Amino acid sequence: MLKSKKHVFWEALTITVAIFLIGLFLGMLIETSNSSKISNLYLQSEISLTDAMATSRLTEEFEFDCDAIKQSNINFADRIYQEARLLEKYEESGRLTDNLILLHKKYDLLRTILWTSNQNSLERCNNYNLVVYLYEYESEDVTKKATQNVWSKIILDVKNQNDDILLLPIAADQNLTSLDLLINEHGITQFPSLVINNNQVLYTLENTASIEQFLN
Amino acid sequence: MEWLTVLYLVYTFIAFYFLFLYILTYMQNRKQIYETVKPDRIRSLSIVIPCFNEEKSIGKNIEAFLASDYKGLKKLIIVDDCSTDNSYDIIKQYAKKYPRVMALQTPENTGRAAGAKNFGIKYVKTELIGFSDADSLPNKNAISKMVGFFNDSKVGGVTSRVFVNSPKNYLTRAQAIEYKIIAFTRKLLGFLESIYVTNGPLSIYRKNAFDQTRGFDKGNLTEDIELTWHLVSKGWKIHMSIPAIVRSYVPTTVKTWFHQRIRWNVGGIQTVAKYRKKFFQCGMLGLFIMPFFIFSWFIGITGLFFLGYRLTKYIMMKFLVAKYSVAAQVALVPMNDFNLNPSILFIFGMVLFTLGLIYTITALFYSKEKGRITGHPFRDIFIYSFFYLLMYPPLLIVSFYKYFRGYNTW
Repeated sequence: MLKSKKHVFWEALTITVAIFLIGLFLGMLIETSNSSKISNLYLQSEISLTDAMATSRLTEEFEFDCDAIKQSNINFADRIYQEARLLEKYEESGRLTDNLILLHKKYDLLRTILWTSNQNSLERCNNYNLVVYLYEYESEDVTKKATQNVWSKIILDVKNQNDDILLLPIAADQNLTSLDLLINEHGITQFPSLVINNNQVLYTLENTASIEQFLN
Repeated sequence: MEWLTVLYLVYTFIAFYFLFLYILTYMQNRKQIYETVKPDRIRSLSIVIPCFNEEKSIGKNIEAFLASDYKGLKKLIIVDDCSTDNSYDIIKQYAKKYPRVMALQTPENTGRAAGAKNFGIKYVKTELIGFSDADSLPNKNAISKMVGFFNDSKVGGVTSRVFVNSPKNYLTRAQAIEYKIIAFTRKLLGFLESIYVTNGPLSIYRKNAFDQTRGFDKGNLTEDIELTWHLVSKGWKIHMSIPAIVRSYVPTTVKTWFHQRIRWNVGGIQTVAKYRKKFFQCGMLGLFIMPFFIFSWFIGITGLFFLGYRLTKYIMMKFLVAKYSVAAQVALVPMNDFNLNPSILFIFGMVLFTLGLIYTITALFYSKEKGRITGHPFRDIFIYSFFYLLMYPPLLIVSFYKYFRGYNTW
């Protein structure tokens, strides 16, 4: 009797450990697969960014069609915006690995580079609007998270109503030196905040009109 | 990995372990669940029934025992604990009419069942001693289905299965489901020699095993748990007889139910505190029953913590987002807010919940009385699973608070 009792305890433990390991393994597999999907998209975006940067440099030296530059930049920003949405969804379901958090950081860096590379294009062409949305990624403050959630919706509404907006949502608390320098340059002291066309910084956002009044 | 994730994984692991332990035990012993043992001889038995203000039920209780088909039932010792109603008069009338019934009264009110039971024990001269509550009604064959387990000289106690008598409202129907699941689980624990309580409505003990415990602990609010642990710690085996059915009345209002559960929980904590030195020692008591108790508490409290934390955060977030969205005139719930990528933790939770539900249905299947698959409408199972069970952890927290405040009221 005692022997059989012990068997059940060990059997239950073995099954639990097996189920748990299988579950964790599957979870990691799913998360790794998600992160590799994003990584592939990121690689493509990185190529596009390099292309956009090359275009931006060329605009400094030659007269290029501003409409083409505008469209190319906006399309690229829209694409990485969609990729970021996907990343965000995967992140919400990711609990076991840190891969997605690192990818998020890489995307923030990508958008920071896009922000810097657009400074000259915007100055020269002035035919589109650059809206940089800086938010706190790691904040646990529910009020702040709710505010950021609503800001995202307002900005997205504005973006959907205006074709000429290059929207760059960037997490400001990712310890990226280049981003910190840009934030300092604009004298930004709190988040969330919105930088419109590199000359207007907003810390409060009541509705879509609050942004639209500063657009070109 | 976040600490909350780690805690959740520990919680899930423990919950999975106990669930698999039950499932495996069930699978390995399912043919013996209804098994009873034929007595090798008739053993004499006395039943002690404490009574305090039970004038409405004590008569039915005595009659139910008198109708028992067990030939060895020699004495029904009814101990009135100085009732203020007509209980004692009713008991005396039965004693006058039936020689097997003995009417006793404590010199003064002892304030709890243990006091009256210990008073009645002194008059027991039989090989077996049983206890019942004054509001419990055993089936005619309940005792006969229990005594055969005493063929094994190592068996110190045998307990019965309690059904709720006439469940009428949602609370009593939920308790009816709960009692059946408890009985099924207890039977499974019996296969592991880990029954941790012999219930108050009907349990029988070998007299010489019982005498080693020196009676019920009057300082404990759940003297039946304490007695069982005492017997197990002395090396006695405890069995449960599923076919031995006793019907009992349960609290019908939330207030009385709450009071009863606090008493049960505080009694459980008192018992763990009393036997703390046996932890990880002393056979199944220290190696399984005590860790089982502690882990059950851990699971209950951490489960409540997770639920409370997530729910509060979710509600606050949704409320603030709705409030700000209305002010900003943007959509309350945009389509892209829906996330169909559940995390592995969510999947673990769902698997756990589903297995738990299957376990509940299996337990009810083994207790069905009226031909339905579970014997209960799905609505009642839903209420039990989603609302009733959620009351356990808050009760536990209140019980801990009361225990540390020195609560010791029956």
